[in-house]
Amino acid sequence: MRADSLTKRYDGKTVVDAVSFEIPKGKITSFIGPNGAGKSTVMGILSRLIARDGGEVSFKGKDVTGWKSGELAKRLAILTQTNNIQMKLTVWELVSFGRFPYSGSRLTEQDARAVNQAIEYMELADMSDSFIDELSGGQRQRAYIAMVIAQDTEYVLLDEPTNNLDVYHASNMMRIIRRLCDELGKTVILVLHEINYAAFYSDFICAFADGKIAAFGTVKEVINAKTLSNLYGVDFEILDVNGKPLSIYY
Amino acid sequence: MMTAGKTATRYDHPTASKQTRGIDPALAMRVPSSASSVRKITALAVFSLIAAGLYMLVSINPKYAAFAFRLRAPKLTAMLITAFAIGGATIVFQTIINNNIVTPCLLGMNSLYTMVHTIIVFFFNTASVAFTNRNLSFAIDLVVMSAASTVIYGWLFKKTNYNVLYVLLVGTVLANLFTSVQSTLTRVMDPNEYDALLTTLVASFSKVNADVIAFSLALMAVVMFALRRELSLLNVITLGRERAVNLGVDYDKTIRRLLLGVTIFITIATALVGPISFLGLIIANLSRQLFRTYRHSYLIAGSALFGMASLVAGQLIVEHVFVYSVPVSVFVTVGGGAYFLFLLTRGKAV
Repeated sequence: MRADSLTKRYDGKTVVDAVSFEIPKGKITSFIGPNGAGKSTVMGILSRLIARDGGEVSFKGKDVTGWKSGELAKRLAILTQTNNIQMKLTVWELVSFGRFPYSGSRLTEQDARAVNQAIEYMELADMSDSFIDELSGGQRQRAYIAMVIAQDTEYVLLDEPTNNLDVYHASNMMRIIRRLCDELGKTVILVLHEINYAAFYSDFICAFADGKIAAFGTVKEVINAKTLSNLYGVDFEILDVNGKPLSIYY
Repeated sequence: MMTAGKTATRYDHPTASKQTRGIDPALAMRVPSSASSVRKITALAVFSLIAAGLYMLVSINPKYAAFAFRLRAPKLTAMLITAFAIGGATIVFQTIINNNIVTPCLLGMNSLYTMVHTIIVFFFNTASVAFTNRNLSFAIDLVVMSAASTVIYGWLFKKTNYNVLYVLLVGTVLANLFTSVQSTLTRVMDPNEYDALLTTLVASFSKVNADVIAFSLALMAVVMFALRRELSLLNVITLGRERAVNLGVDYDKTIRRLLLGVTIFITIATALVGPISFLGLIIANLSRQLFRTYRHSYLIAGSALFGMASLVAGQLIVEHVFVYSVPVSVFVTVGGGAYFLFLLTRGKAV
């Protein structure tokens, strides 16, 4: 997946300014940066949720907007932060929507298996008949991830998957995402606010500032005191913990 | 529209999950609500049938039975069509906008109809064929109404990004605007013209516009056939724009087409019996409360059946208990208002 000089303007204000990068396949890439730097907008453009004003996103040799939406849905999944579903849905029903790109509303036996596997993978089997609005935040987030797993796509885009989760559930979530990449071979793109989660669990970091890319490279290349201080305008200290860079900021 | 129902029954089959690597048997009970949903639908259908039968037969003089049937049958048909049109349209509309207390009426679709109808009378006058020929008049209403509401509401939804509070606010203002335009026109209108116009603008099943029943039925069948793909996407639309797009749905186009369908259904109902606000709100929410599911085949059927049962039973009471002194729309408005307050105070709705 490659982005070429992406541009997005809202009311004349440029929020994404000629951004170009290539996402490494089979790895986890995290987008970090201060609020309003354009991370989520870029992710929205990559996944065709947001219309762009310029540039192109080439996905498997074809522009994302050139793909048939249903075909793209079998190869690329995005999970955003909007969680207001009004309907009464059980976990199983929610996860079964992940099979929609393959079978529409008529699920096959194979779809049922995929749904059950996704639910097991997320360790939600004993609550598969619970309504999602009765789950805790962490469980609900896992149910949504299970839906993405059931969708069985090569690329998975997650917008702030650790948002509103406590330390326990957030680090659990990051381990799950690591497994998506290592065990299921998916290419994962994340938008993250917690720099340390990004540093500990991803392979590549893409740092945004003012709608442009400030730095893009492996964790070691990007996570250093100088880059981060410039990025956020806060003093940083980087410690080495088990070979990973831990950021201290206050 | 009934495809979701078929899927559900298929999943109840216990073998479906026995083959899934010996997962615990609790997982086999995939859609526990489907069997009870079918039972509820059946009960509602039976109840509607009883109401319809009573309406046709109550205090009938056997000597003039044929005559009575000729009077009652069109009214009954109109009520059933209205219930189905309003019930179905409201559920679809609520799903589009992802909110359960919004109805097409709250956003001024009724006022839009009243205004459009008045404008047509104003420019053609009541003696013209555009008013006297009911089918033609209906067709004109329909075309103007569909065009106007697709432009107005399509733009409104897009502009406010489906934000329900903005939509409600702008919708209420629009409803007022339409009403004002309409009342301005009637003020400068010839009093006789106004008199003729008024009879077509007050909701009542006692003077049903029976001429357009066949036209309405045919049109509803065509619309449902043309929108069969979009209707089958309703369950996914429930998840919201971003999730639906993620799953490969052409969201904006689907919404546009569904909205057009909603408009046509509301126009049909309004042209048949006049504007009955709140009916949609009541029956759609009763159906949602009863079925507690996202499956639109059940929700729509339930909403339509609730509408049929309540309209027919209401009309029965109007005709035989109150002897026409109170039109059924009064009950609908009073009951609907109370129910609306109940939904609001319950606090979960908005």
